[in-house]
Amino acid sequence: MRFGDRFPPEGAMKETREQYRLSAADQRRLDGVFERIKRDAGTFIGYPCNALFDYSPLYRFLSFPVNNVGDPNVPSNFHLNTHDIEREVLDVFRGLTHAAADSFWGYITSGGTEGNMYGIFLGRELYPEGMVYYSEDTHYSVNKILRCLHVRNIMIKSCPDGRIDLEDLRETIRIHRDVPPIIFANVGTTMKGAVDDLEGIRQILKDLAIQQHYIHADAALSGMILPFVDDPQPWDFQAGVDSLSISGHKMIGSPLPCGVAVAKRSNVERIARSIEYVGTLDTTILGSRSAIAPLFLWYAIRTVGMEGFRRRIRHCFEVADYAVDRLKQVGRRAWRHRNSVTVVFDRPSVGIINKWQLAVQYDTAHLITMPHVTGNLIDRLVADVVADSHEPTGEHVSS
Amino acid sequence: MKQITIISEDRPGVLAEVSEAMAAAGVNIETLDAETIGGAGVLRLTVDRYDVALRALSKTPFHAISEDAIVVQLEDRPGELARIMRRFKEANINLRSVRIIRRGDGTSIVAVDTPRTDEAKELLKDVMVS
Repeated sequence: MRFGDRFPPEGAMKETREQYRLSAADQRRLDGVFERIKRDAGTFIGYPCNALFDYSPLYRFLSFPVNNVGDPNVPSNFHLNTHDIEREVLDVFRGLTHAAADSFWGYITSGGTEGNMYGIFLGRELYPEGMVYYSEDTHYSVNKILRCLHVRNIMIKSCPDGRIDLEDLRETIRIHRDVPPIIFANVGTTMKGAVDDLEGIRQILKDLAIQQHYIHADAALSGMILPFVDDPQPWDFQAGVDSLSISGHKMIGSPLPCGVAVAKRSNVERIARSIEYVGTLDTTILGSRSAIAPLFLWYAIRTVGMEGFRRRIRHCFEVADYAVDRLKQVGRRAWRHRNSVTVVFDRPSVGIINKWQLAVQYDTAHLITMPHVTGNLIDRLVADVVADSHEPTGEHVSS
Repeated sequence: MKQITIISEDRPGVLAEVSEAMAAAGVNIETLDAETIGGAGVLRLTVDRYDVALRALSKTPFHAISEDAIVVQLEDRPGELARIMRRFKEANINLRSVRIIRRGDGTSIVAVDTPRTDEAKELLKDVMVS
């Protein structure tokens, strides 16, 4: 097969795959990396990335230098894009997050962090003197975002179950009542899967008569769980948030990290900037953006379907309950929040942590029952925990 | 000489691990003292190569805090953080960031960053760790 048999066109510089063949050593190196990933995928239980997908029908798109630079809603001079597909994906998320059609805007991001950065960016643009409040259970990347955006911030205590401590939040906001609060709320914390009490947060703002405020929700994993349960905690636009970040590579699953940033359109329009270079009105953080990630998300949404996701979530909860039961049976403390697939349990030995790629914090670890995690996998983990129960716990592995 | 504060679990071996990390990075420790606060180990050290030391410590499991932040010890109870924030408000000193580093045994260790560090230290001297 010719290298790039569709692109570049006839008459372009002729290059063949043979011309650029890897050396034997490089080929071995590549094969080694593949084998390592294949092996470790068999014990991938500690991080919230679904490994259950098959995007092979989309591989043909990898032959083109596609790029979704710019706002997906604005025509661009760069035509090798999938903006139309991206818009369809966003429309699905508009429905999932209960946003009104005429007041919604979003784009597909490089992952949850970019979505969170976008949310805080919007909040800061609206309220340049604002103060960001976030809980100590917030993902560590938020500290980097706060630093990058140079926005003032105060970390608030968490309750033992991982939710933001509303009493601490209330007292801290009360002192800075003249400063618009930018609340960074967690809809599923990284370690415990806790959902911050958005109704409680809004009540605080109401009680303190704070008119100017912004609420961003990090719904990296739970943003694709709560739409599919019967009794979701308040979490989306209906609950009064101004923007949300949801990961694509987590519950949906993707070999490329990706996500969606969704926000109220009126807020986004304030930060729009015209860029002559690509002839587009660019409201996104990045310039070049993946055109493949929207295809993956669209494909998953179209093939799995809403009912399919509902079934998956039910399966994940069943496996999570099974994991809690099994761990308790062998004398470990284990629990999970309602509507969460994150099972928190006593920190095991370093050997277990490394083998099963568990995230740990202080004396706890978690496993996450993503769709690829089965009861059999849980049984194997528990067997390892039992066999290794007399080993001392290590201190050098962080989440 | 600029100081680095390290917050860690209170367990044997931390001192050795920090020393090893510094030695591996070619950093000489000039002064070092350690204490236990609320179940956490707190090390204060000065070194001959400040930036190199911070970079090396960032690769360890310890929280290393530069001299730009003020580390304070608070009781872990509702409103305690707000009490401290009120001092800044009344003194009209802006905060850049307030970050909880560790909680345990009824104590919170908190890092406070402000553009007016010297005045802030005066405000916080009764709760300051470093």
